Amino acid sequence: MTTIKAIFDYTFREHVRHKVWLSAALFGLVLLAGGLVASALAQDERARMMLDLGLAANELIALVSVIFLTVHLILQEIESRAVFLILSHPVKRWHYLVGRFFGTLAAVGLAMAAMGLVHWGMLKLFGWGTGGSYLLAWLCSFGKTAVMGSLALLLSLALTSEAAAMAFSTFFWILGHFSAEMRFVAEKSGNSLLRTGILAFSHVAPDFAHFNYRDAWHAGLPPASWMAAGALYALGYCAACLALATQVFEQKEF
Amino acid sequence: MRALGVAALGAGLALAVSPALIRGARKFPPLSTLPSTPFSLQDAAMAAAGLRAAAADLAWIELLQYSAGGLTELTDAPGREFEYVKPLTERVVRLDPSFHRAYLYGAGMLGWFRNLQRYDDAIDLLQQGLRDDPGEPLYAEYIAALAYQKRGDTAKALEILEPLADDPRSPVTMKEILANLYKSNGEYAKALAVWEAILDDEGQSSQWPRARQQIAEIRGLARKPK
Repeated sequence: MTTIKAIFDYTFREHVRHKVWLSAALFGLVLLAGGLVASALAQDERARMMLDLGLAANELIALVSVIFLTVHLILQEIESRAVFLILSHPVKRWHYLVGRFFGTLAAVGLAMAAMGLVHWGMLKLFGWGTGGSYLLAWLCSFGKTAVMGSLALLLSLALTSEAAAMAFSTFFWILGHFSAEMRFVAEKSGNSLLRTGILAFSHVAPDFAHFNYRDAWHAGLPPASWMAAGALYALGYCAACLALATQVFEQKEF
Repeated sequence: MRALGVAALGAGLALAVSPALIRGARKFPPLSTLPSTPFSLQDAAMAAAGLRAAAADLAWIELLQYSAGGLTELTDAPGREFEYVKPLTERVVRLDPSFHRAYLYGAGMLGWFRNLQRYDDAIDLLQQGLRDDPGEPLYAEYIAALAYQKRGDTAKALEILEPLADDPRSPVTMKEILANLYKSNGEYAKALAVWEAILDDEGQSSQWPRARQQIAEIRGLARKPK
């Protein structure tokens, strides 16, 4: 645990000092621009638009940050040979990987929290009560970010190319939001082989379509069973990706 | 091998809770049910990025722009004014079936705006609302008002619409519609009161020029000997 914590700490500090905080500044601009557009164009739906754009901007910036950071996370250290120095100490490879991943996730999470606070503060400042649960929407976005981070880490180690890992991560992000569509196509398909294939693929891709409270906000709060299932789903998916990433990393020869 | 075991456990957990996740999640209509518009690519791209609610917001703005005659991508054929109100409203509510105000706005436009008198289309939209967005009481009230209007009983329709126009869940356009109905019904004092209330409301400043023009017109009508 001590080694994981040490790696977590240095990863967290490294990110906070560099890239992650830039995303918060960018988010501030997007938020203000979104707010201006919403005020000018959306008539009676100003609050709704401000809420949707803010939550979407928060998640998209977190997504870009987490994919970019995790894809570079290990590959860059392999390239700069810094990883040799760390692994020459009594540090287990999975400790290194887990510490690096959670350090990155914590830094992105902190930026998301800062963005969320600014956004929530703006909504309150304008007196725009929106119902729903802001915390739940934020947690879902964070869950999606964690899933994408673990998947991007696995892809970066398996593909060993930053560009390919980023492209595939984005592809899985999009595919994840089409999981409901994929199941719809599978149901309509008359070919049982095709149906099975599509269903299997819809389970391999992260199921973001059903894990997206942000888009379902205006329909009211989901049941508690859904929240528990969402948390367990994110946990299971992250664990699977991290374990597979560890397996790939263990097999690398340095 | 231990890592593979943990991976199998994690994947098993994700698969095991997946049905509960799907069961409890909000169901959205498939994208294939979106009406065909020049914005289909925009809608698909935003939905693919997980921005369905934001896509519905943009669709809502485009509906407002179209209603105000400012959407260059869609122009009405001669004699078929506002023919895209229904598909554009359906686009909003298929992207986000909980967009209460879009159903009400679309139905209000189709039923009462500039003598469109497309009551059946308006009622159809509201019935979609009752089906896909249950729990919103205004849909049934609007349907009742439209049914009276369809029978030519404007007084009864007005009786229902009066309290609804002030409801914060109603679109602001309903106030204008109400004022126009009063005007066409010869109830000038009530029509004036609605337009003056719009003039007093900072939030409706975009409607002030029209309100001033309508007030002048109604005062002129009221002065004319019957």
